[in-house]
Amino acid sequence: MSLKSYSRARAIHVMLVYTGGCNGCDIEIVNCIFSPKYDAEQYKVFLTWNPREADILVVTGPVTKHNEKPLIEIYNAIPEPKAVIAAGACALMGGVYKNIHGDIPSEEIAGPVDKIIPVDAKVPGCAVRPEDILSGVVAALPLLLNAK
Amino acid sequence: MNEDNKITDKKVIETEITMGTVHSAAIEPYRVRLFVEDEIVRDAEITIGINHRGIERIMEGLPVEKANSLTEKICGICSNSHIWNSVLVAEKAIGIDVPERAQYIRVIMEELERLHSHMLYLAHGSEVLGHETFAMRVFYIRETVMELLRMIGGNRVQYGVSIIGGIRPRCELDEMRIQKIREGMDIIDEKILEFADRFVSDPMIMARVTGVGILSQKQAIELAATGPTLRSTGVELDLRREMEAYDPFEFDIITQDDGDVKSNLLCRVLEIPEATKIIRQALDHLPDGKITNRSWEMQDAPITKSYIEVPRGKLYHSYSLEDGRVRNSIVRTPSITNIGAMQYAAVGHHITDAQLAIVQCDPCFTCTDRAIQIIKI
Repeated sequence: MSLKSYSRARAIHVMLVYTGGCNGCDIEIVNCIFSPKYDAEQYKVFLTWNPREADILVVTGPVTKHNEKPLIEIYNAIPEPKAVIAAGACALMGGVYKNIHGDIPSEEIAGPVDKIIPVDAKVPGCAVRPEDILSGVVAALPLLLNAK
Repeated sequence: MNEDNKITDKKVIETEITMGTVHSAAIEPYRVRLFVEDEIVRDAEITIGINHRGIERIMEGLPVEKANSLTEKICGICSNSHIWNSVLVAEKAIGIDVPERAQYIRVIMEELERLHSHMLYLAHGSEVLGHETFAMRVFYIRETVMELLRMIGGNRVQYGVSIIGGIRPRCELDEMRIQKIREGMDIIDEKILEFADRFVSDPMIMARVTGVGILSQKQAIELAATGPTLRSTGVELDLRREMEAYDPFEFDIITQDDGDVKSNLLCRVLEIPEATKIIRQALDHLPDGKITNRSWEMQDAPITKSYIEVPRGKLYHSYSLEDGRVRNSIVRTPSITNIGAMQYAAVGHHITDAQLAIVQCDPCFTCTDRAIQIIKI
């Protein structure tokens, strides 16, 4: 067991990236980790804002044109092995901002997320519920823990 | 004091610190340029526009009911304010009478939203201060409000309560729900007083927030700051006094004098008991009757405007109606002027206080990013 996998079995760091949604999902994710009601920290899931510390990247929002490049840079900065969770209707399929046009290409939205970076787990909902976020993180765990 | 410090020629200052667009200190993407001399901020520049999704463009030509529910997606924190104001525009344009019971329930939802928005501000402010325990405490109190919102609207964040002519049938308040809201208000009143006591009596926090990020009353008026940011500089201005829906309720307008981070925090803490007071009055005098007026007919209307007071300040919606479809939609959120004012509040203070000075106005960048700059080529 390498030092990194040893430490990872004891603490998972989640990084949250906001790419132009409505803020609802972001607050629910922060709520899910900070709020004493859900308290993901008791399962050793921590929130970080540094991509080099992170294991799991949680992306919310439909990825606006300006946010596309920073998102790719953040994804590349996270050390391997890593997992990406797309949270919320906007991150899954562009939400109201993209699909309301039908198939007409949007001038503002570059997303959804899986067009830009590979996504491992998807969490639906508008806005996502904290319980669903926890189950999404749990679904992505085998990718991290079984990696060599 | 700040005006003397502000410089106009940015080339004089060589040290420039740039944050953004995605930065670990800021949850939402925005860009700040700080021009620094001897670790004192001499000028600040905030750039927005990274989150621009063109929601007014999407609203153009949609049926008015659909456009109303779309305005809710502008912001996940003050979603009820947006849908309420958008519905008010249509009601004003067509001339629909809203039943009194529906007005009361709308006010109750708006005040619940003010509660959770202010508590989120306190939690975020504590986190920026570096006091995570306070943030967790406030999140714990806030969970009471979130449960009430889920009970009434069916969702924790986007709870579309208002529809044209009244409220959704699902959001009707019966005896059980009224009882639950009363219990929730008791819990919040008790816990928030306890929190405020701890907050004010903590000498370290008070030393960190007193005299930081000062915005003078003159500057606040000139820069058109709204909401608690304006009230924290001593201006007694609250649009709720002029709104028809708030006529039956008695409440005080909270003002503070200093215009610094402490005044901003205290202004919002003290607005929480006022909001619970309004909710209690509304529950006590909740009129009987129907909750939706369905006897109205769609008609064309010229551009109609509506202003309401939301947790962050003054919100403006306007559109015209054509064959039941929305045209010329404009949304103006309070954060746009507040963020502009914060460029001046950060000036003259130490660089470590810059982030605190900027978040003191409760900025919501996702609300704000709808302005389009037209560049001449």
